[in-house]
Amino acid sequence: MSHTILFENIDEPGLNTIDVYRRRGGYEQLRRVLSTMAPEQVTEELMASGLRGRGGAGFPSGKKISFIPKVNVDKYLVCNADESEPGTFKDRELMQKSPHMLLEGMVIAAYAAGATKSFIYIRGEYVEQADIIDAAIVQAREAGFIGENILGSGFDLSLVLHRGAGAYICGEETGLLDSLEGKRGNPRLKPPFPANQGLYQGPTVINNVETLATMPHIIAMGGAEYAKIGTETSAGTKLVSVSGNVRNPGNYEIELGIPSREIIFGLAGGPPEGREVKLWFPGGSSSPVLEPKDLDLPYDFGSLQEAGSMLGSGAIIVVDDSVPVVDVALKLAKFYRHESCGKCTPCREGTRWTVSMLERVDSGLATPMDLDIMASVQEQIIGNCLCVLGDAMAMPIGSMVKKFRAEFESHIEEARLRNPYGGAEPDPDPVLIQGAASA
Amino acid sequence: MIGRKKKQQAVQVPAAERGQNAVRDVPRPEPQRTVTRFGHGSRVPGWDDAADLTKDPAEIPDPATTPVDAALRAEIEAHMAKYPDFRSAAIPALAAAQRHHGWCSPEAIEQAACIMRLTPGYLSAVATFYDMLETQPVGKHRVYICTNISCSLCGADELMARMLQEVGDDPDFNVRSFECLGACDIAPMASVNDIYVGPVSLEDVPVLVEQIRAGTPPLPGKQLHLRRCVDPGAAS
Amino acid sequence: MPKPAAETITFTLDGLEVDSPAGLMLADAAKLGDVEIPVFCYEPKLGQPVGACRMCLVEIEGIPKLQTACSTPVRDGMVVLTQTDRVKEAQEAILEFLLINHPLDCPVCDKGGECPLQDITMGWGGGRSRFIEPKRHFVKPLALSPLIAIDRERCILCYRCVRFSQEISEDYQLVLQERGAHSYVSTFDGHPYVAPFSGNIIELCPVGALTSQAYRFRARPWDVEGSGSVCTLCPAQCNVEFTVRDERVMRVLARDHAGVDDGWLCDKGRFAYQSVHVDSRVTHPLLRVDGELVPVSWDRALDEAAAGLRSAGADTGAIAGGESTNEEGFLLAHLMRGGLSSSHLDSRTGGTLSRDLHAALHAPQRQACVEDLEFAHALLVLDCEPVDDAPVLDLRIRKGIRRNAVKLAVATSRPSSLDPNAAAVARFAPGAGEAFCAALNAALGGEDTVVDELAAAAGADPAEVQALAAVLTDAGEDVVIVYGERLTHGPRGEHAARALLNVAGRVITAGHDGCGLLELPAGANGRGLREVGVLPNAGPGLTPVTSPGLDSGGIAAAAASNQIEALYLLHVDPLRDMPNRRLWKKALARATMVIAHAAFLTDGLWEHANVVFPAESYAEKEGTVTHPDGRVQRLRPAISRPDAVRGEWQVLADLCKRLDHDPGVLTGPMTSATLFAAIPFLAGLTLDEIGGRGVRWPERPQAAAWPQADGGPFGLEAPPFAPTPNGDLRLGTFRSIWAAPEVELSPALKFLRAHQRAELCPADAQRLGVAHGDQVTVSSNGSQVNAIASLRASVPGGTVFLESGLEQDSASELDAGLVEITRA
Repeated sequence: MSHTILFENIDEPGLNTIDVYRRRGGYEQLRRVLSTMAPEQVTEELMASGLRGRGGAGFPSGKKISFIPKVNVDKYLVCNADESEPGTFKDRELMQKSPHMLLEGMVIAAYAAGATKSFIYIRGEYVEQADIIDAAIVQAREAGFIGENILGSGFDLSLVLHRGAGAYICGEETGLLDSLEGKRGNPRLKPPFPANQGLYQGPTVINNVETLATMPHIIAMGGAEYAKIGTETSAGTKLVSVSGNVRNPGNYEIELGIPSREIIFGLAGGPPEGREVKLWFPGGSSSPVLEPKDLDLPYDFGSLQEAGSMLGSGAIIVVDDSVPVVDVALKLAKFYRHESCGKCTPCREGTRWTVSMLERVDSGLATPMDLDIMASVQEQIIGNCLCVLGDAMAMPIGSMVKKFRAEFESHIEEARLRNPYGGAEPDPDPVLIQGAASA
Repeated sequence: MIGRKKKQQAVQVPAAERGQNAVRDVPRPEPQRTVTRFGHGSRVPGWDDAADLTKDPAEIPDPATTPVDAALRAEIEAHMAKYPDFRSAAIPALAAAQRHHGWCSPEAIEQAACIMRLTPGYLSAVATFYDMLETQPVGKHRVYICTNISCSLCGADELMARMLQEVGDDPDFNVRSFECLGACDIAPMASVNDIYVGPVSLEDVPVLVEQIRAGTPPLPGKQLHLRRCVDPGAAS
Repeated sequence: MPKPAAETITFTLDGLEVDSPAGLMLADAAKLGDVEIPVFCYEPKLGQPVGACRMCLVEIEGIPKLQTACSTPVRDGMVVLTQTDRVKEAQEAILEFLLINHPLDCPVCDKGGECPLQDITMGWGGGRSRFIEPKRHFVKPLALSPLIAIDRERCILCYRCVRFSQEISEDYQLVLQERGAHSYVSTFDGHPYVAPFSGNIIELCPVGALTSQAYRFRARPWDVEGSGSVCTLCPAQCNVEFTVRDERVMRVLARDHAGVDDGWLCDKGRFAYQSVHVDSRVTHPLLRVDGELVPVSWDRALDEAAAGLRSAGADTGAIAGGESTNEEGFLLAHLMRGGLSSSHLDSRTGGTLSRDLHAALHAPQRQACVEDLEFAHALLVLDCEPVDDAPVLDLRIRKGIRRNAVKLAVATSRPSSLDPNAAAVARFAPGAGEAFCAALNAALGGEDTVVDELAAAAGADPAEVQALAAVLTDAGEDVVIVYGERLTHGPRGEHAARALLNVAGRVITAGHDGCGLLELPAGANGRGLREVGVLPNAGPGLTPVTSPGLDSGGIAAAAASNQIEALYLLHVDPLRDMPNRRLWKKALARATMVIAHAAFLTDGLWEHANVVFPAESYAEKEGTVTHPDGRVQRLRPAISRPDAVRGEWQVLADLCKRLDHDPGVLTGPMTSATLFAAIPFLAGLTLDEIGGRGVRWPERPQAAAWPQADGGPFGLEAPPFAPTPNGDLRLGTFRSIWAAPEVELSPALKFLRAHQRAELCPADAQRLGVAHGDQVTVSSNGSQVNAIASLRASVPGGTVFLESGLEQDSASELDAGLVEITRA
């Protein structure tokens, strides 16, 4: 059931050093690429492999590189290591334990795209991992795998590690670009797409850590061979972060297409003793929630999409039956309200409004009609925003209201009965209070 | 608006009078800034602040009148040199200024702006956007507790409350609830001065706080880097 | 890059075919099909669309998601739907979201009645809200600056104001703070947003969040009328619309003209209207009786003035200030040359240029226009500071660099605010423009051996000169040179002009569109006044005069030595506006008759004028002015004249009559017609043709009547060396945008009035033992000014800069090249 490519012997001591990585055959694929393959051949292999982006959108990676115009301007490769989708922590483990795998993948991808400048945008909270990568970059540069005239091929690539400073929105690719350019991390209008006008207005490929780290393995086994793993539309293995109410949370590398139940129960051990799965997020907190009846869905891009959700970043969050669904919804809505960049109207106002409504639901001040309004507000957000953050809240919240409507209603009713005044705080306006005292 | 602001007193209403949120009264762990309320509705820091008309406009600080520590200057200039466009160094420069000054104080931002030849306004717009750049004075021990979905399913809200209680009003501590820190496998977890530890039990809290005060490694047995991959395939 | 031409395409809009230029954004193209797509954040003047407000969502066939019309360029064959249910639902949703926080305090909001949010809510909103939570309430309004109030409740975060600050004026002071729903518009650490163009954000704001402190609660849109005219407070001559209520100007708005101002105004232009209605304005003719200026009747004042002039006869000198109209200048010349047989009249402040040089510098084939600044390949800013000299052009230059990659070269003495945008910067010693042009000319000509010496004479770095020359030669054929009138000032002004023409000859193809010279005159209508004959050596239309008279400096010297009896000061106070204050003090004291047209009694007039005619404000005037690029623009009265104020053309004509030299004009338009008829290159021009947008005369066929003149190349003599700092510092002067009586008198702008600062570099300051903020005395030849030391790292060593045009401690007190600085 588990199929190990990226995680093979990942805990080998010293794997984060270039010596151990090379002893295991590291950077050999890069050498092969640079000495025997043209950039187009690399792109072809990637396309043949069926690799889809591991960051969340699932766009075919080879195709993404092929979009880069063949013009004589500075091109850029950016590794998106701003892993901040709640429930996702796979890139962290990769970067921490096998940073050179990422670097090798980046040089290969940059070679394919014709990029000469590359950046890793790592979230600011990952301090240990950033330090490890910084050290790895120094080693790789000394060994001639990064820099000018790599391995005598004439190919140059600079690599800079850029540390973020805590903003979920910088995981959105254009928000990341603005942030990397030293601005507020506001997403940009698309088009133009980054492939045409990305970093510093130049053509830019942006890939997730896991996507890039997979590339040396694809080169090693050949695109066609890699495509045999997984399903027809979801090739290869995927790192899945399982968290929440499970016994063995952690990262598992699975072959795409295995039943979700095998991941949640077989690998992660299922919910604690005596509890049942109430709902689960199949692809990070932005994916619409699924129910226990969906547990037998094959874990791949297509099946989850058909079920009305998505594979996203491959982060399964399991919520058991001891947790009120309103709590989950409120937690999420607050997260998205906090992380909305504020640029576009529906997301900025919609997330705030949704939180207010959920707070009323939670304190018993709402009516079932509010649930209709809440559902309608989610629909008003979906598709009308500048980027996907608004949708990322509206889709799971919308799905929860729809699938757990009865529980929302009983939640309101119970809260109302427990607390007839709705838990409303008296207005602590000091001016008013003073005024009342003097009157 | 950043810093230098008069610290305003939060209005303290005893819990009993507040009519208690009876549903599941998890203490609300977001007391990041104390802001008084005006009328009804929510408060946002800075929204009620007018410009101080006695000040000069904040143009790019002149090097002739803005002294900057040589080490800080060297660090920021090194960051600027790394990128095709020097503005890319805005976050690293602010982070450096924050390390140097303890927070992104107006002085810190002015100095970074002077070196980068940007207006302090540019940098303060950036600084206030990112959670890790502090635009209010904070304690030197950073304790970020993840209270996002996976961690809170494992008791992060209780951990946050316990931590706040244990730390009390110690000004050296900067305890914040943080959005998903990317370590749900060790939930509930905290980032203590950049070191990830977890799962942190409520019993760990006094020990942890003591270790932080003493400057010794936090929960040495529970640090993330010790954790092996749980995937059975990884060991083969 | 040259201005691109657009082809026409056809697209389908709600079932109708619409022709549109290709590449136009759908939001604009829809207007061509009479469909309005509502927008908040979209404003093409602010650069690339941001697509933030989401108000303009439309359906485009073939694209599953709704698209923002503000960011989608029309393509041939595109099928666009703006009236479908999907679009309507989205529009209603966005408005519902936007109004969540909006306080709906329209009845007490200044924007009410002219508010896009109000209009769009009425037109496209659902008319209901399901938001029942308490709205956020905040303290309001708050001061963002002394000029602008901010109401954060009303803000819909459209980003227009911050984009203006960041991408148009590039002052980057106004920013968004915090994130998400907490975002708010603010400045760094509570500093006020004070910048030369800050007022534009008031006009940009699509809600009542940013309001003018000066206009708040003064009028409602239905109380006021708009009246178009031209601002004559500086040579940029921006097109403005006065908002008038009950014969009072209540505010000034921009009247977008791509050929002049691009729709922006500086804060002086936006707020100095207040000086029209201040109590200290002169509104009656004044006569000095027993040493005091007292109000008298017009007849008395005119008689006294006429008597004084008649007795002085040819010993009369006249100076016209920059805000005088062409008509006033023309009548003044008529009065002087015809009525008094005196040619002692001038509108320049710094010496005489020959007629030929005037003709060559402003020849139509060598004349750049404002739009050329935006589309040039390379632009040289020479011895001027656009933001001070013609503010709105500063924005135009920045726009060209930002949008069209214009290569900017800056050559000035004082560090320029454009330096950070420049591809090359060269500094030279104050007053050494001639030597610098000679050095640049040599560098452009490849005469490397002489560059070093000429650069040394100019106090410039030869490498900088070479780099500057490289920018001008390598960028492309369209090169524009913007230079300050001060380059051609001084005793060697003609040499400087010839050197400049030599430079122009090397980089500018005469007769080719898109390149040329553009002078920033010292006075608002400096160009027009010269062309109507307010020069000692040329008559109307730059015609030769039989016996040239004295220039302004000569008039001062002659008056100081009793050779000139009467002084006629049309909109000028020499103590304020002219160099060499000491000489002028003496001249004014010695003159037996000083006649002035003035709106305010500034020092020189207060003490020395014998007759003061009340001047019209620019909101009351009729007539024409000429833009530095040759555009003749028309002033139209927006309000009637207060009290006894009369049209000044009429005052001048009455004086002419009293001196038996009737110009034969009975109305303002008749004066204009007489003027156009007298000037060959304006022949046939009518006020109708000028209309509201002006006419560039160099583009009319009659421009061929402009006097022919040799444009060089000239043989240049060796320029003198700039004075060497010998412990004393070189003195450079500049006049800031804020150094004007209108600024001092407008209550809103008063806080900006300039105070004397001595700008010097840290090394000099250290040597002199002066710290930032110290009170210092700057002295030379026995005169001195007090100043506050201001340390600037960018000031070249050995130089100190002082402001001129101030009421007190003006740099014009000092007349030497080197000055001594001591701590007070």
